Amino acid sequence: MIEARELSKRYGAKTAVDGVTFTVRPGIVTGFLGPNGAGKSTTMRLIVGLDRPSTGSVTVNGKHYAEHHAPLREVGVLLDAKAMHTGRSAFNHLLAVGATHGIGRKRVHEVIALTGLESVARKRVGGFSLGMGQRLGIAAALLGDPATLILDEPVNGLDPEGVVWVRNLVKHLAGEGRTVFLSSHLMSEMAQTADHIIVLGRGRVIADAPVGDIVAMSTGTAVRVRTPDAVRFAQLLSTPEVTVTSTEVDLLEVNGLTAPRIGELAASAGVVLHELTPAAGSLEDAYMALTQDEVEYHAGGLANEEVVR
Amino acid sequence: MSAISVHSSVPTARLSFAGILRSEWIKLFSLRSTVWCYVIIVAVTIGLGVLLAFTLQPGGTLDHAGQQNIALQAATLSVGFSQLVSSVLGALVITGEYGTGMIRSTLTAVPKRLPALIAKILVLGLTTFVVSLVAMIITVLVTAPVLSGVGVHPDFGDSAYLLAILGAAGYLALIGILSLAIGAIVRNSAGGIAAALGLILVVPIVLRILVGVTRAEWAQNVGAFLPDSAGGRMYAYTTGVVAQAGSPGAIVLDPWQGALVLVAWVVVLLVIASVLLKRRDA
Repeated sequence: MIEARELSKRYGAKTAVDGVTFTVRPGIVTGFLGPNGAGKSTTMRLIVGLDRPSTGSVTVNGKHYAEHHAPLREVGVLLDAKAMHTGRSAFNHLLAVGATHGIGRKRVHEVIALTGLESVARKRVGGFSLGMGQRLGIAAALLGDPATLILDEPVNGLDPEGVVWVRNLVKHLAGEGRTVFLSSHLMSEMAQTADHIIVLGRGRVIADAPVGDIVAMSTGTAVRVRTPDAVRFAQLLSTPEVTVTSTEVDLLEVNGLTAPRIGELAASAGVVLHELTPAAGSLEDAYMALTQDEVEYHAGGLANEEVVR
Repeated sequence: MSAISVHSSVPTARLSFAGILRSEWIKLFSLRSTVWCYVIIVAVTIGLGVLLAFTLQPGGTLDHAGQQNIALQAATLSVGFSQLVSSVLGALVITGEYGTGMIRSTLTAVPKRLPALIAKILVLGLTTFVVSLVAMIITVLVTAPVLSGVGVHPDFGDSAYLLAILGAAGYLALIGILSLAIGAIVRNSAGGIAAALGLILVVPIVLRILVGVTRAEWAQNVGAFLPDSAGGRMYAYTTGVVAQAGSPGAIVLDPWQGALVLVAWVVVLLVIASVLLKRRDA
C-alpha cells in the first residue's frame, strides 16, 4: 500500500509534482501513466526517499520508507535510469545490495535465475545491453522479496519475450497480494497489464480509476454500421443528438446511440444490417483525450498553438 | 526466465550496520580500480624502499637517531606517491557511485543514508591503513639486511620509530577519508579528485611560492596546518637531533599535534558531507 498525500516536488522554479494524492492498493497491478516529463519518475523517487518532498508526504505500508527496519523487504524499486556501477559484475552488484540486509548468495542466485541472467552474471555491468540492464534492475528489485514493487518503465528495452515475462511477473506478484506500481508511457502495455490506472499530467493526477472506467472515459464511443441501405438509414438515425458519418458507400459511423438501440431502429424500419459493431474506445484514445492539454513537450506545431493560447 | 517462482528464503532479512559494512566491503573489492590502487601502493612502497636501501651511501658513522631516521625513510619514502593513490581511491569510492547511478541503489537500501557513508569511511580507512602498514612492514623486513650492510641497523624496539610507521599508515588512511569526504561534497569524479589533490598538493605549493616571495612567516605557519604538512608530521622521526627546516620562529607540530590537525580537517569535511548527504536529493 502506497499512500501519497498532497505530494509536491519543486526543483527551483519548476514544479515536477504538484500536490498529488493517490493510493496504490495491494493485490492489483496499478499503472502509472503519463507523458514524458509528467512527474512519474519523480513521484517514484519521492516514494523511496531519494528526493525529499517540497510539501506533502508519501508512506509505504503506513510508514515513511526510511523508517522501515528492512526497506528492501518493504519495497523493491527499479528506477528509470541505471542504478548500478558499470565496473562491477551483475552478481557482485546484487550481492553488495543484498548484503545490507543480510541477504546472501542463495537469494542472489535465485533472482539471477528468475530474471534469466545466469549467462552474464559474472560479466561487468558496463557491457550490458539496455534489456540486460533492465533485467538486472528487476532482479535487484526482487532481492528482498518485497511486499511492494515499484517499477519505472520496466519493459523499456526488453525484447518481446521479456515484455511478456514482465507482464506475467507483475500480474503474478499482484496475485500474491503484493502492491505493484509500474509506470509507462505506453498505453497499449498498460491496457494489457494494469488493473487500475493513475494518469499523471504536468505533475497532477488527471485520472485515477479502474482500467475499464478509463477506457469508458474515452469520448465518442462510436458504433460501426454496415448496410446496403446506408443513405436512407443515415437520414433515419439523424437527430441533433446523433451524428452519422460515412467513410464508405455502405458504412456508417454512428455517435450518440448504443448498438442495441440502432439494431432496434433498423428492425422497425426494415433496414438490412450486415454489421453492427460497437467500437470500444481504446485506452490509447482515452489517454490521448485525457492528456492532450497536459503534454509538456508538444511536437512542433502543437507547441506554437499552446503559446498562442 | 520461464517459470515464475519469486518465493524465497529472506523472511528474516533486515537492515543492519554489520550488513552495511559487509556491503561496502564487497563494493570496494569487486571493482578492479580498487584492487589496482592497493597493488600499486604495495608495489611502490616496497620498490622505493628497496631502491633507497640499495643506493644509500651514508657518509661516516651515524648515531642511533640518524640510523633510525634513515631506516624510517626507507619504509616511508613512498608516502608522497601513495597519498595520491589513496586520495584518488577515496574520492572514487563515492563519486564512482554518483557517476554511474549506483548511489541510488545504495541509498534505497540504506535510506537513512549516514550509515552508508560511515560504513564507507570505516571500510576504506581500515583497508588503506592495513594495506599500507603491511606494505611498510614488508619493506622494513626486506630492506633491513641491505641497510645493515651500510652501517644502518634499525632498532625495532624504538617506539618513536614504530609510531612513525603507524603514523604513515594512518596518514594514508586519513588522506583517503579526506578525499572521500570531498568526493561526497562534490559528487563528481573529476571534480572530486581535482579538489582533493588540489588541497593536498597544489595549495601547499602556492603557499610555498608565497613564502618564497614574501618571506611571510604567517604564510609559513598556515602551511604547517595544511593536511599534507600537518599529516606529514605523523611519520616524521622526532627523537634526537633531527634537522628542522624553516626559520626559528616557525611553527613545528609534534606528531600527535599533526595527527590532530589532520583529523580536524577530516572531521570538518565529513560533517559538511554528512549534512549535504542528508539534505540533498540523490
